[in-house]
Amino acid sequence: MVRVSGPDAGVLLCRLASDLAEVPEPRRATLVKLQDPDDGSSLDRAVVTFYQGPASYTGENLVELTCHGGRLVPSLIADALMRAGGRQATPGEFTKRAYLRGKLDLVQVEAVADLVEARSRAMHRAALGHLERGLSRRITKLREGIVGLEAMLVHHIDFPEEDDPPVPVTRIVDEASWIIKEIAKMLRTAPEGQLLREGALTVLAGQPNVGKSSLYNALVGEERAIVTEEPGTTRDALEVAVQLGGFPFRLVDTAGLRDGGERIEQLGIEVARRYLDSADLVLLCVSAIDRLSVGELAFLSEATDSPVVLVETKIDLLAKRDVDYGGLGLPVDMREKLAGHLRVSAMTGEGLDQVKQLLPELVYSAVVSAKEEVPVLTRRRHALALEVALSEVSDFTEALADGLPAEVASTHLRAAATALEEILGVISVDDVLDAVFAEFCVGK
Amino acid sequence: MRNFYGVIVVGGGHAGAEAASASARAGVRTLLITPDLSRIGQMSCNPAIGGVAKGVVAREVDALGGLMGQATDASRIQFRMLNRSKGPAVWGPRAQCDRALYPLAVRRVLERLELLDLFQDMVSDLIVDKGRVRGVRTPGGLVFGAETVVVTTGTFLRGRIHIGGEQGMDAGRAGEAPSLDLAEGLEGLGLEVARFKTGTPPRIDGRTVDFQKVERQDGDVSNYRFSAYAREPIPEQRPCWITWAGKDLKSVVLENLERSALYGGHISGQGPRYCPSIEDKIVRFPDAPRHQVFLEPEGLETTELYVNGLSTSLPPDVQLEIMRTIPGLEEVVMTKVGYAIEYDYFPPHQLRQTLELKQIEGLYFAGQINGTTGYEEAAGQGIVAGINAALKVRGEKSFVLGRDEAYLGVLIDDLVTKGVDEPYRLFTSRAEFRLLLRQDNAPRRLGLLAKNRGLLTLQQDEALRERLEEENRLLHWFRETNIEPARVEELLSDADSGALHQPVRASELLRRPRVDGRELLSAMGKSVQGQLAEEALIAVEVELKYEGYVRRERERAQRLREQAGFVLSEDLPYLEFLSLSHEAREKLAGVRPATLAQAARIPGVSPADLQNLILEVRRLKSSQGSTLAS
Ligand SMILES: Cc1cc2nc3c(=O)[nH]c(=O)nc-3n(C[C@H](O)[C@H](O)[C@H](O)COP(=O)(O)OP(=O)(O)OC[C@H]3O[C@@H](n4cnc5c(N)ncnc54)[C@H](O)[C@@H]3O)c2cc1C
Ligand SMILES: Nc1nc2c(ncn2[C@@H]2O[C@H](COP(=O)(O)OP(=O)(O)OP(=O)(O)O)[C@@H](O)[C@H]2O)c(=O)[nH]1
Ligand SMILES: [Mg+2]
Repeated sequence: MVRVSGPDAGVLLCRLASDLAEVPEPRRATLVKLQDPDDGSSLDRAVVTFYQGPASYTGENLVELTCHGGRLVPSLIADALMRAGGRQATPGEFTKRAYLRGKLDLVQVEAVADLVEARSRAMHRAALGHLERGLSRRITKLREGIVGLEAMLVHHIDFPEEDDPPVPVTRIVDEASWIIKEIAKMLRTAPEGQLLREGALTVLAGQPNVGKSSLYNALVGEERAIVTEEPGTTRDALEVAVQLGGFPFRLVDTAGLRDGGERIEQLGIEVARRYLDSADLVLLCVSAIDRLSVGELAFLSEATDSPVVLVETKIDLLAKRDVDYGGLGLPVDMREKLAGHLRVSAMTGEGLDQVKQLLPELVYSAVVSAKEEVPVLTRRRHALALEVALSEVSDFTEALADGLPAEVASTHLRAAATALEEILGVISVDDVLDAVFAEFCVGK
Repeated sequence: MRNFYGVIVVGGGHAGAEAASASARAGVRTLLITPDLSRIGQMSCNPAIGGVAKGVVAREVDALGGLMGQATDASRIQFRMLNRSKGPAVWGPRAQCDRALYPLAVRRVLERLELLDLFQDMVSDLIVDKGRVRGVRTPGGLVFGAETVVVTTGTFLRGRIHIGGEQGMDAGRAGEAPSLDLAEGLEGLGLEVARFKTGTPPRIDGRTVDFQKVERQDGDVSNYRFSAYAREPIPEQRPCWITWAGKDLKSVVLENLERSALYGGHISGQGPRYCPSIEDKIVRFPDAPRHQVFLEPEGLETTELYVNGLSTSLPPDVQLEIMRTIPGLEEVVMTKVGYAIEYDYFPPHQLRQTLELKQIEGLYFAGQINGTTGYEEAAGQGIVAGINAALKVRGEKSFVLGRDEAYLGVLIDDLVTKGVDEPYRLFTSRAEFRLLLRQDNAPRRLGLLAKNRGLLTLQQDEALRERLEEENRLLHWFRETNIEPARVEELLSDADSGALHQPVRASELLRRPRVDGRELLSAMGKSVQGQLAEEALIAVEVELKYEGYVRRERERAQRLREQAGFVLSEDLPYLEFLSLSHEAREKLAGVRPATLAQAARIPGVSPADLQNLILEVRRLKSSQGSTLAS
């Protein structure tokens, strides 16, 4: 599909479609013959739709040409359009025009960018929600709540001689705590939203030869890492972006952890440790047929910031030989510290589905379990502004509780409202007054 | 009387009196023309000055050297500080005045101004030549030349009074002729005109009120003065009374609704939402069980009472009937009927921030003619217009107050930027920087500005200097004095505030809730004596007590000022800026904002429009001189 936006979009179309006497009726698909504007040679037959600004995506006149596929035909048409007076759009230019025409707010613009870049179904869904004003609507509603709070306070400041008493502080505090809860609920999605954008950093670690690279390849679905019978095969960390259950992960295979070994291997182990420090999730791989080693036990008992899933590998071996291996020897207190305990075989594929299921649940619990439509904050900018709003509204209730006068405390509300406005871009104090008049009977 | 003046002010209401005196104080020869010199400064409606936000405006007018504060002090017969129970940042001084004494005080002050002449006449026409005002003409053919003219004719332009459902009659106020010629003349200049309405309640004979049945409301016992510069003797004080209209009133109003001019469809102008007639209150809030009615004295030498809360355009017989449903008024005798009035105003987007018309150089509008309501709003515009007219004559740069500097700044900016769709009145919620715009700090905020532009009299200069010196002394004391725990043990326990363990600064202690500045001073063996010191202490105390918050507001204001730094020249071809929405183009072309910040406040101009505006202005600058092929 080729799109043309601008005041002359319809005129350009007519230059290519000689059988069109004038710009077609808006929003009606029409089949036309397209010809080269210079030599009149035939280009294609295409379905064209004209949108009259401002009722179009960009808010300007817009033409959509649906032509035959492939690479050649669209590029021929684009080339002809440029010779007829058009210009190649710069990246994102259509969206930028839509924003500048007031068709999209800032959050939606960001969502368009996210949609284009989305690398997982979950991110795609979040971006789509934002584009459909899920987030904008929420923020607008919160802002209205804050403006309403101020109206409640201000009413009695501006009309102190009215018959009705001031709105009781308890009601104002109730209202404020609803807003605080709402914002907090949205903010809870922020860490996961951030992961949704970047992918959760998931590190496979363990002693040499336990089968990390084999599991890694099985999860990625491609032979990315080299697998050999030799311990110490993987020397450097390997990172790849994958989707598990529709959620984005950055899977990292690392060098097996052990003392000794050559210098290269030791450097690889250094890298592995650094990855472990910043991991969102650690898969500690151990061989199902061995008892936990001292090193592995030490690893488990060391306090790590990130959740650890214990993965027993090579479970096919357990079934093959009729030997009782006597279990891993996992102490009970350590069992409790684990975020999960899985058993897989990279060879038979057994247990892989459980891995793919458990990982999203662990990392994206808030997003997965959110029954009601809480928009996920995928951008730092939104989260920062909401954090400011949250602390201002909290300061506001604290100030009221400290007995500060309403008009002093309300400076916090103005700051909170401003923070939210900055997400969307609205500025006006008159809203406060309008809210006052809508709700109260004022006389004198 | 001369043939030529620097400034001629047309109309002697609150706007006119302030404008004329301001330009005379600024050293420019000024003429005030009004049809009845004995009615200069007359209060058309309730004889009360001040209130929430409005009281701060009265203080601001005073701080700029105006009459309003002084005239109020000289005529007030009841005073109350509204919002006393709330924080001092929103205190609203309100005075009930003697209707006769107020104009007398105004006249007295005006007549002391050497450069001001008064002349009793109507103005029927303005003389305008090549887009510049040259003078005024009277119906008798007198002509006065002027460099600048300030028009402040209030509700008089094509004023029409309605009492009940008949046709209405032409009048500027009850018993006074409207201005018809001037209205036509102004419209003939190509200015846009629109219509508003307002109303006033009936007055009653106080001897016919049963005071046993109404509640007495005494004023504060206080020597509060609106004026920071003049020390007028304060008259004897009088109480007001409160009673409540109940369901009997409601049924009488509903029965007679079609006889109301407002509801009978005889009035087209839009009225104020916040000053509704009793008809409006009953119709819009049918569930309200009762409506408050204040009986307020009209003066010391009269028993007449103003029935606040009963503004109406019902016929006289119904007015009496509804009053007699009210407890205490069963036998009441009416002295004046209430009425509604509709009048022309000139939508204020036609003005610059100086209140000069964009289209006509040297012509200024101030007061109700700009779509506002209220004495304080009128006076505030009057003083700003008068100052600017005088500065223009002096060839100096204009005087514009920011939204963070004064309610007057908020008022005028709202008018010229947002326009009005109902008679405009000030509220604290219209101001972004409520904490900065207080009644207590008006002299500090505006006094120095006025002094530096040569707008104060010598006597006012001197009073300002004393006031600020006193404030500085106190500020210094609180900031520099260390207080030993033992000295304030009792004070703190009385204030229910934690005991001290080591010495702290007085200013820090003052920041605690319930700790009082005066008590702190007296615990340290200092006393506050005299009104000047008391007033200064209040100002200093508020400033210090909420210092953190006040600082935050100042920072916010600063950010806004930075936006104001993006200047938009007055001749921008807005209609050609096709990247802006159609609505924004039209609005911007109408308002012609001076800065980006002002553009941002225009309703209908979106953030996206603002961004485009920046781009368009930059593009325009870079393409000037060369033509662009398209
Ligand atoms: C009936 C009524 C009810 C009101 N109710 C309220 C209310 O409830 N609440 C409230 O806040 N405010 C109310 N007001 C408003 C308040 O009175 C005004 O806002 C305020 O007085 C306006 O001041 P001003 O100086 O603009 O005009 P005004 O005070 O109206 O003064 C206008 C002056 O211009 C003079 N003049 C007129 N035409 C000419 C001419 N051609 N040549 C020379 N001089 C001329 C007049 O004689 C008068 O002196 C009411 C006003 C009226 C009339
Ligand atoms: N039977 C069986 N063998 C496996 C399984 N997974 C891995 N192996 C074997 O175990 C050996 C080591 O596998 P790798 O995946 O290279 O192990 P690693 O942990 O990456 O080893 P290093 O990179 O050396 O640390 C290879 O010979 C694999 O074939 C499994 O699930 N079942
Ligand atoms: Mg490996």
